[in-house]
Amino acid sequence: MNRAVILRGILGAVLLIGAWEFSVRFFALPQWILPPPSGILATAWSGRAALLPAAAMTAYEALSGYAIGAVLGVGLAMLLALAAPLRAVLLPMVVAVNSIPVAAYAPLALLWFGTGALSKIIMVAFIVGFTVFLNALDGLTRVDPAAIALLRSFGAGRLRLLWTLRLPAALPSIATGLRISTVRAMIVTLVTEMLGSQLGLGWTIFQAVLLIDFLQVWAAILVASIISLLFFGVVSAIERRVVFWR
Amino acid sequence: MTATKLSISGVGKNFGAVRALDRVDLDIAPGEFVTLIGPSGCGKSTLFNMLAGLLEPDAGGTILLDGKPGKLLGRTAFMPQRDLLLPWRNVLDNALLPCEIEGLPRAETRARAEKMAVDFGLRGFEKHFPQQLSGGMRQRVALMRTFMFERDLMLLDEPFGALDALTRSMMQRWLLDIWARYRRTIIFITHDIDEAIFLADRVVVMSARPGRIKLDRRIELPRPRDAHLLTAPEFTAIKRELLDAVEEESLKSFSA
Amino acid sequence: MLRAALPILLLFALWEAAVVGLAIDPFYLPSIRVVAAAMQAQSGFYLDAYLVTLAEAALGFAMGGLVGVASALLFTRLPMVKDMVLPIFIVSQTVPVIAFGAIVVLWFGNTLMAKAAIAFYLTFFPVTINTLAGIAAVDARQVALLRSFGAGQGAVMRKLLLPAALPRIFTALRLSASLALAGAIVGEWFGATRGVGAMLLAAMFNEQIVSLWASILVAAAVGGTLFAAVALAERAMVFWREEL
Repeated sequence: MNRAVILRGILGAVLLIGAWEFSVRFFALPQWILPPPSGILATAWSGRAALLPAAAMTAYEALSGYAIGAVLGVGLAMLLALAAPLRAVLLPMVVAVNSIPVAAYAPLALLWFGTGALSKIIMVAFIVGFTVFLNALDGLTRVDPAAIALLRSFGAGRLRLLWTLRLPAALPSIATGLRISTVRAMIVTLVTEMLGSQLGLGWTIFQAVLLIDFLQVWAAILVASIISLLFFGVVSAIERRVVFWR
Repeated sequence: MTATKLSISGVGKNFGAVRALDRVDLDIAPGEFVTLIGPSGCGKSTLFNMLAGLLEPDAGGTILLDGKPGKLLGRTAFMPQRDLLLPWRNVLDNALLPCEIEGLPRAETRARAEKMAVDFGLRGFEKHFPQQLSGGMRQRVALMRTFMFERDLMLLDEPFGALDALTRSMMQRWLLDIWARYRRTIIFITHDIDEAIFLADRVVVMSARPGRIKLDRRIELPRPRDAHLLTAPEFTAIKRELLDAVEEESLKSFSA
Repeated sequence: MLRAALPILLLFALWEAAVVGLAIDPFYLPSIRVVAAAMQAQSGFYLDAYLVTLAEAALGFAMGGLVGVASALLFTRLPMVKDMVLPIFIVSQTVPVIAFGAIVVLWFGNTLMAKAAIAFYLTFFPVTINTLAGIAAVDARQVALLRSFGAGQGAVMRKLLLPAALPRIFTALRLSASLALAGAIVGEWFGATRGVGAMLLAAMFNEQIVSLWASILVAAAVGGTLFAAVALAERAMVFWREEL
């Protein structure tokens, strides 16, 4: 990417925020239509005492669920990569279950595991697990057959193939799964929190909607977006470090 | 040297209704450099896969390595057409891959690889990653990987096929050099008649599908060989003879 | 068709076998026969929810798809604007934009438009980004070849860029089909009385596990309908995919 493109991107963002601030002030838009960016920032800052614990809770739920889901997803994919017949039966079912939106079974998690952090962590682990599993399995099974033949000609067995060839070859797609999952983890946490919880940004948003407190909704979304961006940025940076050959 | 390194007799292969390889009989002496040439789809790669132990010959065919039958997987050093270097391993680690799979002691093989890297012109590039190397250099790493897998019989499947003509002729002379130094038995597949003659003790021409051995020509040109050989009259004479045989087969597979 | 139905039937069989074989507490997983009977008893109610949510999601999804492709084509003509807007679009994919659903409901009230608007923007961004990526991936030599035949910008767009981007457009559409549905369902949580989302919420608050499972099945049916529509369109329009 060259400098001109980056500059234009920054220019675009500045213009967007500037135009937003300007039009809100110039047309004197009521808050419920669009609060100005400055107002959102001010609300976030003055409400930090309440927003910070909510943000910490959301981040905790998203991160724990993410870690559990990532480990389970990669582990299961490795097991299934070794068992082709089982894979043929299980994979279509996994894909079918995966196509049901999260929002549909979030209420189930709340009923089963209560309105505390556990239900959110389990939901996130579930979604992240699916995403990482499908990506990892795709990477593990889509290895160049010629490379497999070469390693077999050196006398490599199935476990050796998995460890020396399949796993590193699958790293780019595992990393992609992990990267997509950061955003999904945040979305699932927020959505499940909206349904029922005692603390968290999703809960803050839901309550602010009921109280018709627009600035608070925007402020909570702002904080959630910052967490999400940080999470995404860190995982992408690690990805570039680990999958250096891509 | 009356012993045979490799003895192939009556080896054939069907893939479903397609007869890929008919009946191949071939004996190869220890230390011999044999090039295998033939039209595309004549079953050269199928034969190689069987010699590497990746594919079983159909019933009736036997392959004896050092006079003994049995599983061939892991007993020959096989180099496929593409270099298949693993992008997450540096040059040395790529070359060490077969030793690692064999479970050989790491320090020892590493020292051996570092020494070998000099012969393969990879000195100073040990820590480079494949994507930082030129095509010719990548091919040398792949060859070194094959040499690190210390088997007397080496199977090279068009190793220089993807290289430009200049790099290619340099690599050919260099391979002969390496071969003279390490004295392995080599079977080398190629599409290029010049290459086949220039390298070999024997050129084996295969027929169009179903593959059979059409011609087995001993090349008694003096070694060491250099670029001038390519224009020598005795070279051209052999080339004409082989061209006729190959041309005939290519026409067959073209009209089929 | 059968290939798609088989895993679902297998899943149902596993479900029933697990309930009967492992004697699972009906609070966690009621027998599928019980759920099916409940759905049959109130079929009008569930059908209504299916249609309402399908209408919201499908409307927003279709608009999002069309506007997404159209704006990608527009951006291709205006690279300056593209460079300014694309980073914002990409960032929008890394933040939980679904939370804006709350604001959209505040804007539009509890109307079909509100949910369709959420489904719209959840579809619009990924489709635009993928269309642009698909167009960017077209070999410049192919463009040059077409231009050498005398093709103008419009012809290059219609005959090369758009068809070449189709596989990626459909990738985005498949992804956003479930996003659009999620958007519609979440939108219904903010006070709607009809639709799958409203049903899910009611079942959860009343702890009616059977009707909760029934609602999940209805949600799956809506998702399946959207998916099938995309898959059919894809098969008709991207028949050459294997060659790419």
